[in-house]
Amino acid sequence: MRLYHEHGPTLLVYASLFVADRSIAEDLLHQVFAKLLEGATSIPDVPAAYLYRAVRNAALNARRNGFRETALDAANSCFVHRGGDTEAALALQVALAELPDDQREAVVMRIWSGMTLEEVAAATGVSLNTVASRYRYALQKLREKLKPLRKTEEL
Amino acid sequence: MDGNDEQFENYLREFEARRPRAFQPMRQSAPDGWRRLAAAASVMVALGMSLSLVLHSPRRHGLQTVTTAQPIRVPLSIVPLTKLAATDPARLDAELTAASRQVLPDFRGEKSTLRVLAKE
Repeated sequence: MRLYHEHGPTLLVYASLFVADRSIAEDLLHQVFAKLLEGATSIPDVPAAYLYRAVRNAALNARRNGFRETALDAANSCFVHRGGDTEAALALQVALAELPDDQREAVVMRIWSGMTLEEVAAATGVSLNTVASRYRYALQKLREKLKPLRKTEEL
Repeated sequence: MDGNDEQFENYLREFEARRPRAFQPMRQSAPDGWRRLAAAASVMVALGMSLSLVLHSPRRHGLQTVTTAQPIRVPLSIVPLTKLAATDPARLDAELTAASRQVLPDFRGEKSTLRVLAKE
């Protein structure tokens, strides 16, 4: 349960980038943790890496099985903006969903899981340079996509 | 990583991940091995009880309950017998002896149940 509290919100974001419907994303998340509790899988040394992989696989399976696509709206948003900018929260979710999987994974782990790039590299099994590169590309793309919403920000 | 990246990172951190609904795992069921063991134990207990009943049944030992049509003078229940014990202990003994001849297998006569069984 500690893992759920610690990683649940970020994993929900991650799952929501594959399946727009928030309730389906939550179901996927619960499936992953239920399997973990059943003892079908032992908790690895780097739980975050396992959890990200498991959520990703579950989400891809759900997509393959033809779940019903849902329009992204505030109810399905996986982000809350501190300033209450709902539009920006939805735009961020869309922008993240449009990133290639490896770039999305890097940025979600880094920003919302608070992992260092070294930890992301260890979790994803690639070199630090590769992760740094993926992360940099991801930030560039997100910055471009969110530019119209950051009128007051210096880009 | 330049200053712009850090600024943009900070902007991204303004977005907080929503908490998922509470995770309420189903009550964990026992692992398959334990369930199989429990089922096997139940079967063994049931078999044991059945075997015990068969082995200890009166029919197997040739014992049969003796029933009688003759009425018992004092009903064999605790209240009248207790009264009798208090008022007339000698009569209580007599009543119990008489009752035992009718309720329990008689072993004194030539054709008593126990004698017949013993011969068999």
